[in-house]
Amino acid sequence: MTATSLHYEAGDLALFAMQLLSEEEYRLIAGHVAACAFCRQELARLQGDLAAYIHTVEMHAPAPVVRDRVLHRIAREKKAPVSIPLETVVSSAREIRKAPSPHTEQIEPQHPIPAVEEPEIHLATRRHNGNRPQFEEVAEPRSSGSIFGKIVLGLGWIASAALAFAGMQLYQQLQANRTSISLQAKELDRLRNDAAGSRRLLDTMTSTSARHVLLSPPASSATPDPAPEGRIIYSAATGSLIFFADHLEPLDSSRIYELWLIPADGRDPIPAGTFRPDPQEAASIILPPLPRATEAKAFGVTIEDEGGSQSPTLPIVLAGN
Amino acid sequence: MALAQALPEVCDDTALLTRIRRGDENAMATFFDRYATIVYSVALRVLHHAAAAEEIAEEIFLDVWRTPESLLTTGTPGAYLALIARNRAIDALLRRPSSPAVNDISLAAIYDLSNEEERSILADRTSTAVFRLPRDQRKALEMACFDGLSHTEIAEITGDTASLVRMKIRNALLDLRKAAFA
Repeated sequence: MTATSLHYEAGDLALFAMQLLSEEEYRLIAGHVAACAFCRQELARLQGDLAAYIHTVEMHAPAPVVRDRVLHRIAREKKAPVSIPLETVVSSAREIRKAPSPHTEQIEPQHPIPAVEEPEIHLATRRHNGNRPQFEEVAEPRSSGSIFGKIVLGLGWIASAALAFAGMQLYQQLQANRTSISLQAKELDRLRNDAAGSRRLLDTMTSTSARHVLLSPPASSATPDPAPEGRIIYSAATGSLIFFADHLEPLDSSRIYELWLIPADGRDPIPAGTFRPDPQEAASIILPPLPRATEAKAFGVTIEDEGGSQSPTLPIVLAGN
Repeated sequence: MALAQALPEVCDDTALLTRIRRGDENAMATFFDRYATIVYSVALRVLHHAAAAEEIAEEIFLDVWRTPESLLTTGTPGAYLALIARNRAIDALLRRPSSPAVNDISLAAIYDLSNEEERSILADRTSTAVFRLPRDQRKALEMACFDGLSHTEIAEITGDTASLVRMKIRNALLDLRKAAFA
């Protein structure tokens, strides 16, 4: 363990960040880091470096069932702001029904509404007094309420209707806003993708580790004048490729040119995109999907059936290494 | 609602985690879609076993659901999740309980990893930098990070001294940092 007079070395902190130290060493550094802002900052940087390094792994999407399982489990673990046992809820509800609410006491109207006797519904629905249901007798005091009560009730209905209308308007506005946001977010994603693509293109073109390869017709083939030619910039580390070609002969609609990357490790040629020359006999392929960290032995261009092929068909039109 | 205020809610990790904290399952689904690939890929890289990697990913996202606030303080949730996935996978590989002390510390990351393209650029740049590292440095870092080997174990394999291995790992990480800022 190497501690300077005041701080731990980055090498120790890196091993600490990767949790690769013995328990004793780990405890010592953890204690120091907790009290040392400088080492804590350096550790944060190293963890950022590690996180960046970890992002170089080959990406694999998990099976869709993993998403289903996670979402199913979180649905079962629904969050509740306050968790109250059912017993408490029930007893509280009973007490609330019995006791007058403090709020109702506070908002007592200036013109008190005559007290209304609450009908006993359970009796009304089961008992009869001769031919007349008991419910009507019990409910009678409600129907004899004051006109003022009816006015208040009517105003309540009007207020409810107004609120419902306003709510609907707000809902429609919200939906419109959501649609707009969604469209703007998609546009933003598209612009970000464009920007990221441009950045990757620039990185590839300016990378000092990228290979520059000239492609020309094989010596054995009869070449028109001017001869077709191609140029490739290829970064093996990132699998980024840029290809330009010129003086290509036009093809009929059933045929297409296809670019191939021939790996240095002897694997089969990897298709790197199909293309047709434009009226000026030029063509290009920009950043086709290629695996990372594949060293290229050579590149070639063949003519394939429309739709391309998974293996090159001879003869080779252009080649370079 | 002004668009400027609304868009961060669509894209921003912090807003997403705040909604998750309120129990928003849709936000959790979005967050999963954003980071499931990196979390699963890291676990798979360490464990080389799909079912075990899936289990790690599930547990990590359930932890996010239960305690999203722990990610809100980390700075960049994407970098934090990648590191957590690596640490948990290593714990599983070495059959040891998780040691959470490191996880409490914020990360200093220069990328906005909530954006897929930013993650892709980060991966590209770092891959290029890793590619340029001397082979022994690259190997030492790989063995420590993804195989969970300590510097003494790596020294036994490579024949270097433990202090030299430690230096190689440190230099590799510092070189990657320089490349990120280049």
